Amino acid sequence: MSVSYIARRAAQKEKVRILYRRALKDTLNWAVHRHLFYQDASDLRERFEANKNVEDLDTIDRLIADAEGHYNKFRHPDPYIVPWAPGGSKFTRNPTPPSGIEIVYNYGREDND
Amino acid sequence: MQNIRNTLLSHLRLGNLTWKRQMCASSTSTNDSSSKILLDRVVGLVKKFDRIDAKMVTETADFRKDLSLDSLDRVELVMALEEEFAIEIPEEEADKLTCCADVAKYIALSGDKGKTTEDSL
Repeated sequence: MSVSYIARRAAQKEKVRILYRRALKDTLNWAVHRHLFYQDASDLRERFEANKNVEDLDTIDRLIADAEGHYNKFRHPDPYIVPWAPGGSKFTRNPTPPSGIEIVYNYGREDND
Repeated sequence: MQNIRNTLLSHLRLGNLTWKRQMCASSTSTNDSSSKILLDRVVGLVKKFDRIDAKMVTETADFRKDLSLDSLDRVELVMALEEEFAIEIPEEEADKLTCCADVAKYIALSGDKGKTTEDSL
C-alpha cells in the first residue's frame, strides 16, 4: 500500500513538474512582449499553487489530466526553438571545418603584384 | 609609392601577426578563467532570481536544501538559465542540476559537445 502510494505520488510530482515546464515555455511562446509574459507566468504559477495541498490521489490524477488537456488545447503552433538546437535557425549552419583542413587567408597575392 | 605601400603592409602584417599570437595565447591559456567566468555568470543569475536570498548563494549551495526552492521554482530557474545561455536543457538533465557549479559544468560540457558534433560533420 505505502510503497505503491509513494511510487504513484512520485510519478505525479514528475508529471506536474514537466507539465509546468511545458506550460511555462508555451506562455513565453504566446507572449509577444516580455512584460506581458511576467503577468502570464505569475498567473500560471497561481493556478498551479491553487491545488498545491490536494491530498487525494485520484483527484490529483484528474487535475493533472485536465491541465494536460488544457495545455494541449492551447499549444502554440510555432514555438520558439533555441537557434542551435535541432530545428532552430542556426542548426548546422556554418559548422567548423573538419580537422586537418587549413584556411590560407593570404595566398601570396600581395607578394606577387 | 611602392616604398610606402611596402612599409604599410609590413606594419599591417606585423600587427596582424601579433594580434593573432595574442588570440592564440588567450584561447589556450584562459581555458581555466573562461570556466571561472561561466561560473560567475551562473552565480550572478541565480542571485538575481527573486525567490532566492542573494546572500545565501554560493557555488555549491544546493538549490532545494540550501536555497529552499520547490520543484516549480527550480523549473523557473532552469528556464532562466536556458534563456541566459541560449541552450536547451532536457527535462531529465534539468533534474540533476543541484547547484551553481553543476550548472556551469553542464553548460561547458554541452558547449563542447556542440563543437565535437560540428567537427564530425
